[in-house]
Amino acid sequence: MRVVIADDELLLREGLRRLLAESGFDVVGTVGTPGELKRKVALTRPDVAIVDIRMPPTYTDEGIAVAEEIRETHPAVAVLVLSNHLASHYAMRLIEQHTAGTGYLLKGRISHIAVLNDALQRLADGECVIDPTIVARLLTRARSTSHLDALSPREREVLSLVAEGRSNKGICDQLFLSPKTVEAHVKQILIKLDIDASPDDHRRVLAVLSYLRT
Amino acid sequence: MTRSPRPGLAVAVAVAGAVALATARGDPTSSFGGGGLVPSVLEAAAGVCLLAVGLTALGRDRERSIGALLVAAAAAWFLIDFNNPGAGAAVFTLGLVLATAAPAVVAHVVLSDPDGGLRSWPARAAVGLGYFLTLGVLGVASAVVFEPRAEECLQCPRNLLLVAGDRQLHGDLSHVGVDGTLVWSLLVLVLLSTRFVRSSPARRRARGPLLAAGGLYIALVAVDLMHSAQRGYLSNDSVDQQLWTGQAIALLLLAGGVAAAWWRARRRRFQIARLVVELGATPPPDGLRDALAALLDDPTLELSYPLADGRVVDGHGRSARVQGQTTALVRGEETVALLSHRPGLFADGAIAAEVAGAARLALENERLQAEARARLEDLRAARARVVAAGDAARRQLERDLHDGAQPRLVALLLATALHRSRHGTRTDHRIDELQAELELALEELRQIAQGAFPALLGAEGLAVALQELSEEPSSPLELSAVTAERFESRLETTAYFVVAEAIRLAAPGRVAVRAERHNSRLVIELQTDNTPSGTIDLEDRVGAVDGTLSILRRDDGRTTLQAELPCGS
Repeated sequence: MRVVIADDELLLREGLRRLLAESGFDVVGTVGTPGELKRKVALTRPDVAIVDIRMPPTYTDEGIAVAEEIRETHPAVAVLVLSNHLASHYAMRLIEQHTAGTGYLLKGRISHIAVLNDALQRLADGECVIDPTIVARLLTRARSTSHLDALSPREREVLSLVAEGRSNKGICDQLFLSPKTVEAHVKQILIKLDIDASPDDHRRVLAVLSYLRT
Repeated sequence: MTRSPRPGLAVAVAVAGAVALATARGDPTSSFGGGGLVPSVLEAAAGVCLLAVGLTALGRDRERSIGALLVAAAAAWFLIDFNNPGAGAAVFTLGLVLATAAPAVVAHVVLSDPDGGLRSWPARAAVGLGYFLTLGVLGVASAVVFEPRAEECLQCPRNLLLVAGDRQLHGDLSHVGVDGTLVWSLLVLVLLSTRFVRSSPARRRARGPLLAAGGLYIALVAVDLMHSAQRGYLSNDSVDQQLWTGQAIALLLLAGGVAAAWWRARRRRFQIARLVVELGATPPPDGLRDALAALLDDPTLELSYPLADGRVVDGHGRSARVQGQTTALVRGEETVALLSHRPGLFADGAIAAEVAGAARLALENERLQAEARARLEDLRAARARVVAAGDAARRQLERDLHDGAQPRLVALLLATALHRSRHGTRTDHRIDELQAELELALEELRQIAQGAFPALLGAEGLAVALQELSEEPSSPLELSAVTAERFESRLETTAYFVVAEAIRLAAPGRVAVRAERHNSRLVIELQTDNTPSGTIDLEDRVGAVDGTLSILRRDDGRTTLQAELPCGS
């Protein structure tokens, strides 16, 4: 898989490059600014661009903006945004525009090569990736009134996998369940939470995350 | 302010008047008034009216000198008939010396400033020359050489001042005196005209009647002197008598002019007083300014108050710049207020004194309020500085962690991951432990940075930052309605930390938050399960942005905190 890395911190950029190369990825470029990233993507047409959220000039949300731009101009290039923000805000903003082929992972996560590997693979397949920690935080929030209490432990598991952006098949693989069972669970969850059932995985992610955020 | 009138003085001048009238009646042919009823009444009225305003002015602090001059003018006016041959020797002699003094005294009155001073040298010179000519040349010098009997005044009494009769010298002195006084009176007229033309409209309004009446009187004197110059001495033919009656009328007008100025001042004071009452006990800031601006007909008028520490503030307590022409309103030694106004408004210093006097209470009141507001503003500014310094330090800490320690830890994590992938399954479990510790450190660092200053607040605003806060594990925060609008940074910071602090102070227990804009205020409402304790920091924060914090505790312990932050329009 061909990957481009954009991070203004040389230390992280190089560390990540070596780690990915070590794990069999083809790192076709490393850059430090959004502008360089756009040029590199246009030039090398990677499968996935890994983008730090904080980049010059303002060091706030440049990564999100450039991710949207890349998804717009190069639909074949998936984007994984690395972030320090545990808040769902930026993740939500990222996948609102282009759910398929966009991912949001916490920076602390990248040392888990398996997680990184899985995320990159799913993105290349056109899935959406949301960091499990963000989903877990939303799920475990103490709420005075919540329909979440009505869910069974298994249903909560399924719900969090849905929120992480996994397809039904992905959920089957994770929980070792049959497609039919997963489908039934999902349907049950959406009814319990009063979310409009949608066959589209991507719209489903958005609906579930929106629900969890409120 | 008003002193008791001086009865002795009044009686003395009245007696002089009575003597003059009696003398005139006793020998009508020698009197200037001719002894007729109308001239007599006018003579008496002019003198009495001058006396009355003079005595009144004597009772007024600022006008004592003018009052003395007016009383002197009244006396001099009566003395004109003393040198009537029908009078006794003492009265006659007094008349010889003082008979022509009236024009000099009246000129002194009209050339004086309102407080009685003579500030310009031409005025001083004119007044001095007037006294020299009338009292000196026509008075004393003539009297010394005047032998009535030698000059065919057979019924005249004895001249008590006579040293050596010299008819020739007396005639010459009379000539010189009359001509000189004529020239002098014309000079005074020129002086009065230039003064009138040069003075500001306000001053012209205030002093116009006085100057006009005085001018008329001096002009009539001049005409009479012109008439007398042809024969070489002062006398009382029919022309003189008519002119003299005219002079009496002019003096009546002069007295009226003085009284009219008082009446105007009184009316203005009454207006100010009424306006002060209208303003009520606590006029709004600038209320007094607006009222005075309307009253004095000067829209550019500005009112400011000097504070003890040397600053000058307006009615709101904000520091004010005093510019243009300024008049200090003084009470005792202390400057109560400064009025900046259009040039010439207070050319007549009396108006400023009146304003200071009549609006004293309102000025004092507004000055105290302005001072209190200025102190409050100082306090608020100090609070704001403390809070701002604290926030700046928090922000810096967050940045330092974000830019320094965090990337370093992430890089270390990457290094461990690299190490593991290189050595595959041969890595020992200590690498796993190291990695877990690093992740823990990273998370703790993130929490510290987040607690110090939420990066999302600056980048994305209050709503996003509060959402983030509500997503923290076991966050008690429930957001119902939070405006997505962006506000000034210090306002968003204040609002955020009010919520964050309230959560801490009311822990454990749910905190429901609304944050909405109501007109020009951002209103943060928090419902807490428990009563937050120690809200002084919150008050400091809210006070620093000029907001208000109210805490309403219900019986069941649930508490409503409401912070209202002004956010412009």
